[in-house]
Amino acid sequence: MKLVQQAEGDVLVLRLGGQLMGGPDADALRSTILASIQQGTEKILIDLGEITWVNSTGLGVLITSHLAARGKGGSLKLVGVSKRIESILSVTRLNTVFEVFSTEEDARKSFRSSPSGGSEEG
Amino acid sequence: MTRESNAVGEVITFSIPSRLELLPVLDRLMQGIAEQMEFDEDTAGEVAISVIEAGTNAIQHGHGHDPLKPVAFRFELYPEHLRVCVTDTGPGFNLADVTISDPTSPEDLMKSRGRGIFIMRRMMDAVDFEIDPKKGTRVFLTKFKRVNGRATAAS
Repeated sequence: MKLVQQAEGDVLVLRLGGQLMGGPDADALRSTILASIQQGTEKILIDLGEITWVNSTGLGVLITSHLAARGKGGSLKLVGVSKRIESILSVTRLNTVFEVFSTEEDARKSFRSSPSGGSEEG
Repeated sequence: MTRESNAVGEVITFSIPSRLELLPVLDRLMQGIAEQMEFDEDTAGEVAISVIEAGTNAIQHGHGHDPLKPVAFRFELYPEHLRVCVTDTGPGFNLADVTISDPTSPEDLMKSRGRGIFIMRRMMDAVDFEIDPKKGTRVFLTKFKRVNGRATAAS
């Protein structure tokens, strides 16, 4: 799995590519996100645009990261969600958990609209 | 990979070492099978996602990521439906434990695990298991062709 980190203002953008399927790569992603949250990052944007496969184990990494961010008063948002990933999120009802945006700019606007970066409905 | 024909349909078999990163190798094969079956895009996607989930379970829970233990995939192409069998040699699991859980329920929605079989059941027309602690686990995934958005036969 490809992982590119970029700090853009107070938003940590993680651009992922390849497979989010569990295993060492997914463990590394989880560790990266949790370490960033521990260091004070509250706003995390994950770009899945170049992800070719996600399985339920990969979803688990996103959930763990989301919970960790929320536990520190922050939030994790998704962009670049393919039709296939969207169908998995829908079936599992995780589309009610993750905020998904069509573009990075839309996601950044959402972060700016609430001080903590969380969704308005909390 | 092997391919054969018999009285009931065309059969394609394939096996991979128990490494999660190899599962997408199946993608192109499944695309080809979906074309053979004349599945629409949504149906093909549901089959692919389900086969990947079955393979994930076999690798993670059946074989504990031991790459020396191969996971076998058998695709049976029938005129009206596709049947996929995913086999591992692990000790199996208690099916009742996963049958009663609903990962979309409010209390389980945020759990990081336990969605694989649920996803398969939601996306396939039938999901069946043969679990033998001595021989291993076989998961059977069945998907019927769609006509006007409906399966061509009840499972």
